[in-house]
Amino acid sequence: MPQLGESIAEATIVDIKVKPGDEVADDQEIIDVETQKAVMGVTTPCKGKIGEITVQLKETYPVGAVLGYVEASEADAARFAKQAPPPPQREVAEEIPARADQEVAPAREKEMAARDGDGAGAGGLPVPAAAKGATFMSPRVRARMAELQLTTADLAGIMGTGAGNRVTVKDLESFLQKIENQTMHEASAIRAGVADAMRRSWTRPLSTIGSSVNLDPVLQDRQSRDPKPGPGLYAVRALALALAETPGAAAKLIGNRVVQSNSIDVGIAVEAEDGIMVPVIRAAEKTSLVDLTTKYKELVDLARQRRISPDMQAGGVATVSNFGTFGMEWGTPIPLPDQTLLLGLGAGKKVPSWDEEKKEFVPRTEAQITLSFDHRSIDGGGAGRLLKRVIELLQEPKTL
Amino acid sequence: MSITYLEAIREAQAKLLRDDERVFIYGQDVGGSFGGAFKATKSLAKEFPGRVLNTPISEDAIVGTAIGAAIEGMRPIVEMQFADFSSIALNQILNNAGTHYWRTNMSVPITVRLPSGGTKGSGPFHSQSMESIYAHYPGLIVMTPATVEDAYTMLIEAVAIDDPVVYCEHKYLYYHLKADKLPSEGLPTGRARIAREGRDLTIVSYSAMVHEALAVADQLAREGFEIEVVDLRSVKPLDTNTVLASVARTGRLLCVGESFPWGGATAEVIARVAAEGFHLLDAAPQRINAKDTPIPYHPNLWSAHRPNAKEIARKARALLRE
Amino acid sequence: MLQTAQRQSKTKKIKPAPLHERFLEAFRWMLLARTLEEKLVSLYRGGLITGGVYIGKGQEAVSVACGLFLKKGDIFAPLIRDQAGRSAFGEPLLDVTRTYLGSRQGPMRGRDGNIHRGRPQENQLAMVSHLGAMISVTVGALMAKRFKGEQGFVGLTCIGEGGMQTGAFHEGMNIAAVEQIPLVVVATNNHYAYSTPNEREFACHDLVDRAIGYGFEGYSLDGTDLSACLEVIGGAVKRARAGRPPQLVVASVLRLSGHGEHDDASYVTEEIKREPFARDCLKVAEQTIADLKLADAETLAAWRKEAAAKVDEAIATAQKEAPPEGDNEDWCALSTRDLVDQVETIE
Repeated sequence: MPQLGESIAEATIVDIKVKPGDEVADDQEIIDVETQKAVMGVTTPCKGKIGEITVQLKETYPVGAVLGYVEASEADAARFAKQAPPPPQREVAEEIPARADQEVAPAREKEMAARDGDGAGAGGLPVPAAAKGATFMSPRVRARMAELQLTTADLAGIMGTGAGNRVTVKDLESFLQKIENQTMHEASAIRAGVADAMRRSWTRPLSTIGSSVNLDPVLQDRQSRDPKPGPGLYAVRALALALAETPGAAAKLIGNRVVQSNSIDVGIAVEAEDGIMVPVIRAAEKTSLVDLTTKYKELVDLARQRRISPDMQAGGVATVSNFGTFGMEWGTPIPLPDQTLLLGLGAGKKVPSWDEEKKEFVPRTEAQITLSFDHRSIDGGGAGRLLKRVIELLQEPKTL
Repeated sequence: MSITYLEAIREAQAKLLRDDERVFIYGQDVGGSFGGAFKATKSLAKEFPGRVLNTPISEDAIVGTAIGAAIEGMRPIVEMQFADFSSIALNQILNNAGTHYWRTNMSVPITVRLPSGGTKGSGPFHSQSMESIYAHYPGLIVMTPATVEDAYTMLIEAVAIDDPVVYCEHKYLYYHLKADKLPSEGLPTGRARIAREGRDLTIVSYSAMVHEALAVADQLAREGFEIEVVDLRSVKPLDTNTVLASVARTGRLLCVGESFPWGGATAEVIARVAAEGFHLLDAAPQRINAKDTPIPYHPNLWSAHRPNAKEIARKARALLRE
Repeated sequence: MLQTAQRQSKTKKIKPAPLHERFLEAFRWMLLARTLEEKLVSLYRGGLITGGVYIGKGQEAVSVACGLFLKKGDIFAPLIRDQAGRSAFGEPLLDVTRTYLGSRQGPMRGRDGNIHRGRPQENQLAMVSHLGAMISVTVGALMAKRFKGEQGFVGLTCIGEGGMQTGAFHEGMNIAAVEQIPLVVVATNNHYAYSTPNEREFACHDLVDRAIGYGFEGYSLDGTDLSACLEVIGGAVKRARAGRPPQLVVASVLRLSGHGEHDDASYVTEEIKREPFARDCLKVAEQTIADLKLADAETLAAWRKEAAAKVDEAIATAQKEAPPEGDNEDWCALSTRDLVDQVETIE
């Protein structure tokens, strides 16, 4: 059965124009098949004599199924590498053929690999639209994934060869085999942890909006303080105060309930030896910038001593990430899986900025500030208003 | 030389009568020169006088008598004329023989032969497959031989077993199935046989349906699929291990049985595979049984009522596509 | 109603049979059975027995005759009101008390109860609840003896007029005669099958008439007369052993208890309680002993005391013993262990 069209997986035999023994030419139409779309002709692959027709009228067969055999010249046969046809099919319903059955010992010791180790899954055939499709993971596939410690995220890179392009056990194993000769090492616990957190976070529809913020007020303000808070801490305060004004902006959608936290706890990214930790400042809107600075220093010390516990990182509603310290201008960070907001602050840069009053370009230190959010809980409008408020508050550092 | 399934049963009984003086055959029309409705005991009454006895039409008493004789040390073989009539003896088989060891610590070594299954025109009361009913009750062994060789060795084994055995011989196979010779030994009861090795789908079956499954496997081989066929041989005990091993190889399961659909051997296999081999399955396990109506008389209706190779093939292809 | 009156009026006038030589021996078994069963009833009323209690009050004379003439190797298949016969056949009292009181050491180890107990290994068959089923089983056991060349044995099985109406009874009787089995069937018409009186049980004039229909020899019996029971049933066993056709004895009594002890039998009419067949066979026997001076009051008292002591001992022993435990049970219904079906695969 040839491939009759892009989405066509099977066809019904409506006319058989030849019988065994008939001489046929190359590309001669010998069988008519019907699909949902039309009646089409199946043609001979080469010149020869009909050896056998293995299909029946009014029956439906999948694309790729054998419809019959043509006895051809050796050259032609070699071209198609066909084997000799099997003996004629017996009538199945009427008589039970005599069988001298051998006792085949039950092969209990054969492993799962015996079947999955050769050939495609269900004959490698495409399927009708009604079948389960690419997202279906059978218990067998799931069990194998668990054994191999793979997650659905890992499947992204695998092309499925099963029914409806679903990934089969064979596909999983081929994939893993292919990467065998690449350099690899065991993932650290932190790496695995981050991977898991980001995978979980990514199950939500996330979006990011951004704007530019004038950092000069903050930079000036910090000169007058001792110790000097980093711009990130100003952002934490600004975000906390903005959320105090509209606490609904940090609410989470759980099922069909909008759940607000009782406390505005904001996380701040702290670099530790083998990764980033995100300890949470509890009631950040009530913590003054001075106290925040002290707290931050403590956290940095704790991080260096690897004493930031999971408890300390749980329960926040938003986080601030100052990737500007790495020199990045803007980014679209991913909110933590248990939070819906992430405020990202890029590196400040001296840029000419139009001053409407002076009617000229003046130098200003500007940074890109982005807000990534869970679009289920808050829209662009709401996020935008929150970000705008943060930016406003950052222009008045004395209020923080 | 060629020997039929029925002849194998007769040969087994002859051997049993010859080798074990505790054996006798009890049933309707089994004795005299008649030798049984299907000739399963032909010539045996003559060869073994006084040990192949005709009974009245009293299925309850026939089995009751066999139970009493077994308690006193005999090894009776009861021939029911048709499996369908064993319903009269249900009480003796299920409640008396089946409970005796459990209650009294003394086993009852009777063998009840049930000519089972449909043939063209046999109708609702001469076609039934009752293995599921007997398997359901505790204390019984239920054999369902599908081959000439198994018909022979399993009947001999049945009589040797100390517990009550319900031996379901298939009438359709009586004259249609032939073998070259009889084996001296076979697989023990409780072990299923891989009738055909495969890779893409497992069909589990028993008795006459094994042959339908094999025909389907041949057909699907032409379409590029390799079907593994498991012959259960006995539905109780049921060889779960072999079935699971097969599903581990293929990932897909289709159970085919001739009995009525509700409950039954096919449902039992699927329940076990779902419970213990869920992680082996690539698609939901399926089954085909006869229709949920009495077995029809007219050959057209009869062949539509029971699973046939075409229907099995269709279901197999659907399962392969998932 | 008219038919009933007619039938009852045909009940034979009670004429006592001549004294049987084994009268006193039989009487003592009756006494033991009565004492035991009265004790079981009081245990039941005291809530110490789970499940049904079925006693044979009023049928002890018939029953003891069933057990008394059987010898070792004969097959005995008693039914539910046969305590006297079971004891006479050799069933230990402990079997009874252990079964009723739920001791793990009973012959059925708690897997079955009350009167389903038996010892098939010792030729006392264990009944199933489906009445009539044991007739053919007894036939089979005797056929086996014949196959094995064991001669001179008989089988005796008991049934009530209720059980006589089942298909299994019919098939069993017929096959016993066809196979020419040395079988004695003792059928006791105690006039009620649970709550159902005779006129709703059978329509024939006299149950013993069925004997001829089956190819049996049939005898009627006044079940309240111990000597008559011993004579008729003893005679039937003798005839069976001598190779006569199978024997049917139909005895007439009144059930003097409920169907089981859970049943107050309030449906038993006052009228029927006045019938001659309603006499208590034990009391009749005691009267005979007194009339014929077969034993004095002291001896009787001693016998009663002895019976009570035996019963009490059997009960006390059984009460001390442990019951079966679900966790310790080997849940296996086949004797062939490796053919047990594994619903779950073994780890």
